[in-house]
Amino acid sequence: MITKEKLKDYAGKLMFDMKEEEYDTLVKEFDVILKQMDFIGKIEGIEQVEPMTFPYEIGHAHFRKDEVKDILETVDAVKNASDVENNQVRVPKVVD
Amino acid sequence: MRYMDKSIDEIRKALDAQTVTSDTLFQESVSLAKQYQPASNAFVTILEEKKEQNTSTILSGIPYALKDNISTKGILTTSSSNILKNYVPVYNATVYEKLERAGAVLMGKTVLDELAMGGTGTTGHTGIVKNPWDDTRQIGGSSAGSAAAVALGIVPFAIGSDTGDSIRKPAAFGGIVGFKPTYGRVSRYGLFAFASSLDHVGCFARNVKDIAYVTDIIKGKDPHDMTSLPDDNKKYTDTLDHDIKGRKLFYIKEAFENYENSDNLEYKETISKFLETVEKVRELGFVVEEVSFPKELLNAVYPTYMAISCAEATSNNANLTGIPFGVRGEGNSINEIMMDARTKGFSELIKRRFVLGSYILQKENQEKLFKNAQRVRRMIVDKMNALFKKYDGLLMPASGGIAPHFGEKDDQLSDRYLILENHLVIANFGGFPSITLPSGFVNEMPIAINLTGRQFEDDVVLNMAYKIETITGCKNQIAKGGK
Repeated sequence: MITKEKLKDYAGKLMFDMKEEEYDTLVKEFDVILKQMDFIGKIEGIEQVEPMTFPYEIGHAHFRKDEVKDILETVDAVKNASDVENNQVRVPKVVD
Repeated sequence: MRYMDKSIDEIRKALDAQTVTSDTLFQESVSLAKQYQPASNAFVTILEEKKEQNTSTILSGIPYALKDNISTKGILTTSSSNILKNYVPVYNATVYEKLERAGAVLMGKTVLDELAMGGTGTTGHTGIVKNPWDDTRQIGGSSAGSAAAVALGIVPFAIGSDTGDSIRKPAAFGGIVGFKPTYGRVSRYGLFAFASSLDHVGCFARNVKDIAYVTDIIKGKDPHDMTSLPDDNKKYTDTLDHDIKGRKLFYIKEAFENYENSDNLEYKETISKFLETVEKVRELGFVVEEVSFPKELLNAVYPTYMAISCAEATSNNANLTGIPFGVRGEGNSINEIMMDARTKGFSELIKRRFVLGSYILQKENQEKLFKNAQRVRRMIVDKMNALFKKYDGLLMPASGGIAPHFGEKDDQLSDRYLILENHLVIANFGGFPSITLPSGFVNEMPIAINLTGRQFEDDVVLNMAYKIETITGCKNQIAKGGK
């Protein structure tokens, strides 16, 4: 059973909040989606199938050698951060 | 003289004959983009300055547009999300580098559904994208701006990404061609990840040959993307004209069973026109057969897609905290800062999808929802691969109707919605090459067909599409709003 409280908990775990009316919409949306999801569970023989995580059997994945390349310079790494001091991203103190 | 509404061959000829310069083409493209921006809202950024490498390829000097979820060093790249509205990448996506090296000229970055999650073109942070055939209708998404820019004749081609149908659906609603190659054919390096096992980079153009020109340039193995395919050492433009006699196609019977009895006239006309196209395709020398596909699998396509894509997206977008990049939130702790940034930075639709993804990934739901969705994915792909032993391609209507009006919503539990509006996702499940071609009109709006082929056989799909294009009467068309 989907409740607003559960959805608030999931949103919190994802580090955001939503407006009350948005949770109401979401409860209704879950009703439709879970009905659609029921189609998945009803498929015969599903339990014998290996889950598929990739479009095809991957025979070509290549790992590069563990060599230093494509270095992101510090000056570039902090370019998009709004709060920077001494080439480091500044955040509130984490450990008291 | 206008050039941006012409084919790549025509533009190339004019450039080579020096009847036009690449500077003039860039100015034309930028000025058209600005002219149409109030009506269509296709662009997040229209570039003021032209950057061009001195090379000699088919695309040298020709302007094009990139979807704004593709990384461009030094150029704002927002993914149409408020949380990234100030983000300027420090590296280039491979697809952009390849086009740059080929001498193609970037003229702008196009609007998408926020973070590429959505199929309406209505959720970008800079506003909705309107259909250039009728501005009261959606163009579809998520590559909404790229589709609109090509349909309006602002550029001859544009780059998009496709996780469910994000190139092929807006191409259908925009009356243009949209191609998603085999998974891994084009590097994903620098594409903002939505659902990594389903994400593809592809392109829009107004004819199949232009699609082949662009794909020949952007494909290939990339050391930065370990899932990119090894080079196939083929030039797709060389095989477009190969004989197709005896090539076998199928369409799925259950997708529009009993359509004649529907009250929906647009749906009826779309399907009857599709069947007329099938007849013409047969006259070209193709064998086209009706095939039965398990209904339970077809009804499961959309929920399977939702489960997998939302779960992958929830995880992929965990890096959007507003701290190392993006718009920073306020607060007295890291948690408060992140919470504020993500609460303000994501729109409601994105949050709803993330919550769904989180629900699916909860320990108690993983087996029933996530793993089962992955199992159904395999069942569908296995069934397709079995059919592809006998057939060279799946030919279908790209949609069960024309572009919807803003706010119009289908019954999401109906067969028509679950199957006909979502079957394009099958090509993402199996990484199959898949192309949408305009095929006619219903109520003065474009309709389209979709052709999906075997994994790795991008050349065959383009060859078949090139031949089919000759009977559609829709090659090189420009939307009403772009004339």
